[in-house]
Amino acid sequence: MAPAGREWVKPALLMAPAILYLTIFIVYPIIDTIIIAFFPEGRFSTESLEYLLYSPLSKFWDAIKFTLILAALVVPIETVLALIATLVLLQPFKGRDTAVYILSIPIAISDVAAGLIWYSMLTSKGFVNKVLIELGVIDSPIYFFGYEFRDRALLAIVLAEVWRSMAIVFIIIFAGAQLIHRELFEAADVFGASFWVKLRHILLPMIKPSIQAALIIRTLFAFQVFAVVWILAGRDIPVLAGEAYYNLVEIHRFDVAALYALIIAILSMTTGFLYLRMLRARHLEV
Amino acid sequence: MASLQGNRLIIAIAAIAIVVIIIAGLLIAGRGGEEQPETVPEATPAAGRGAPAEETPQAAPEEREEARRVKIIWASTQLVPAEEQAFVKGELLPPFTEETGIEVEFVGLSYDALVTRLQSEVETGKVTISVIADLHGGLDLFASKGWLEDLSKFGALEGRSFPKTLEDYSNLYGIKAYIPWLTATYVFVVNKEAFNYLPPDLTPEDVMSGSEKWTYEALLRWAENIYAQTGMKALGFPAGPKGLFHRFLHGYLYPSFTGAQVKNFDSPEAVEMWNYLKELWNYVNPQSTTYDAMASPLLKGEVLIAWDHTARIKDAIIEQPDKFVVVPAPRGPEGRGYIVVIVGLAIPKGAPNQDAAWKLIEYLTRPEVQRLILERVGFFPAVEDVAEQLPEGPLRILASGVSAQLSAPDSIVALIPSLGGRGGEFSQLYREAFQRIVLEGVEPEAILTQFKEQLLALFEETGAKLPPPDQT
Repeated sequence: MAPAGREWVKPALLMAPAILYLTIFIVYPIIDTIIIAFFPEGRFSTESLEYLLYSPLSKFWDAIKFTLILAALVVPIETVLALIATLVLLQPFKGRDTAVYILSIPIAISDVAAGLIWYSMLTSKGFVNKVLIELGVIDSPIYFFGYEFRDRALLAIVLAEVWRSMAIVFIIIFAGAQLIHRELFEAADVFGASFWVKLRHILLPMIKPSIQAALIIRTLFAFQVFAVVWILAGRDIPVLAGEAYYNLVEIHRFDVAALYALIIAILSMTTGFLYLRMLRARHLEV
Repeated sequence: MASLQGNRLIIAIAAIAIVVIIIAGLLIAGRGGEEQPETVPEATPAAGRGAPAEETPQAAPEEREEARRVKIIWASTQLVPAEEQAFVKGELLPPFTEETGIEVEFVGLSYDALVTRLQSEVETGKVTISVIADLHGGLDLFASKGWLEDLSKFGALEGRSFPKTLEDYSNLYGIKAYIPWLTATYVFVVNKEAFNYLPPDLTPEDVMSGSEKWTYEALLRWAENIYAQTGMKALGFPAGPKGLFHRFLHGYLYPSFTGAQVKNFDSPEAVEMWNYLKELWNYVNPQSTTYDAMASPLLKGEVLIAWDHTARIKDAIIEQPDKFVVVPAPRGPEGRGYIVVIVGLAIPKGAPNQDAAWKLIEYLTRPEVQRLILERVGFFPAVEDVAEQLPEGPLRILASGVSAQLSAPDSIVALIPSLGGRGGEFSQLYREAFQRIVLEGVEPEAILTQFKEQLLALFEETGAKLPPPDQT
């Protein structure tokens, strides 16, 4: 009975679930995806990569472009909106709790449902066009969807995505903001600090970790954007996850679909890594 | 003591977590292995309604000699989804058994399973299957290999007539290879309101009967007229990512303008066709590139004239049968091109109980049986005059449109090529050509030759034949 010899047991056991989890749900699928993408018939082949880069049927560069554009538009917009909502809802007023609940509703709505809601609102015979025509603002419907109107479709997607996913950013930031001690604000009031001073020197620094957490989650999910785009724009606006799905289900090019999945994984991992590096650096500064 | 308990607790929790993760992993891995992509062509109503049933294990057919009771095996790649099989076994076959005393064992198979089984049975000379039901493409292959009986030896089927186009296709390699059984197709649906804006020399009757005057040119002028008078882009096509617009391109426009689906892909006539489509697209609802099926845009009134697979517009007609009519496709310079999905019934060479098999074929092609199949599973009849016998209502509207298309004298019937898993790439080439030329404004000449080479390569690599009308 040598206790020293068994010292490794407890840490190993503690880590085992995490390692097992990562092996089964992350490492194994990634290896399998690499095999599907590059070893379609048991031997190495770059056919999927060539298809992705050179086939006239491939929409790879468009997919990369639109995925990044959407992430670059949606994430900052919803973060700023969530910040504004937090600022407003930190003030005590009647009906504040109800407002928080209402703002959180989209969390409970699936992305497919969100896409369908916005599609039926904005379609040529939809709610928005009907109201505008009734009010005499327009004579004929405004088209938001279709290849010709890709810019408007992009706008509709940004709207739908912001509406759908702002709630999660808001909840994270709002939760962080509620942890700030009221004394800090009271002290600031005593010294006659203005709203902007309180915002810059108390609120923002205190909720920075929450903002960072929200940014990580949302940026990673933004690279996987799929259902809303698929419903509102089909392949008029190709995105990476949509191309993976299309190649798998419609074209039956499993290797190409797997390659798309790998690219999304690499993009997410790189971004996650960069965010974590930035997070750590900030903590050291404080 | 407390820390010891704490340790035990941690270890117990860790152990439970490990077990849970392993079980979850195994479950997921197991599921992953089972999932098979659905590769049934969407043209059959069966598509999307369930994976092909597994091959039921087959006991060697016992020769039941008791009191002239015969049992035959009917192998089919169609009506395979569970609910359709339930219809076949529970409703379609019992009256036949009652009438003839012949028992039928219905075996639903995937196409690959049928090929394998038929090949081994014919080659070893131990044929157990008496009747086969499969798509034209498959039956064509079986006939080319000499695996099918010549059905002309059984004589004609009384009391029913088949459209000539179907009769012609069923004669393969010098034999009557199969009896046409069921069909499916794609048609135009017109909201009756659109008839108020017909161009001067076109009547609703022209459109509904598919007369000489019902041409693609007339369709263009009609759409122009609606736009001029109402400001509405009234045409609609399912050009969304899951829509079937590619079928319109390769099976309707191409044959109507060039007489073929593939071989004239880059001909001057094809260039003319693409230029026509560019012009037509000015009057097509721009949301079409997001439509997957046309029932909903028709019902919402977003489009007045739409083209789609019968199964995908059925809902609109069932919901508002008074509002819509189903009409044949227009004709182009070469004729009236359209796709027919043909399901035929055949008897394998050397099959047992061939007389009983013929009786089953006779029963299955009776007009009243065809009508029952239309009502219950949505496949259209292969015999004429069934539409007229239907009661007024949505099915009659659909069936008469389909039958008007099928009986048009200027028909150019296009069949979907049998490219197996590569079928998606075939479709995608037509859709990509459409996107480049019509949506992005690329000159047709710039890409058609390159795309044609890729199309031909698909046929070469899979060993498939160019589908009719290219072959005829």
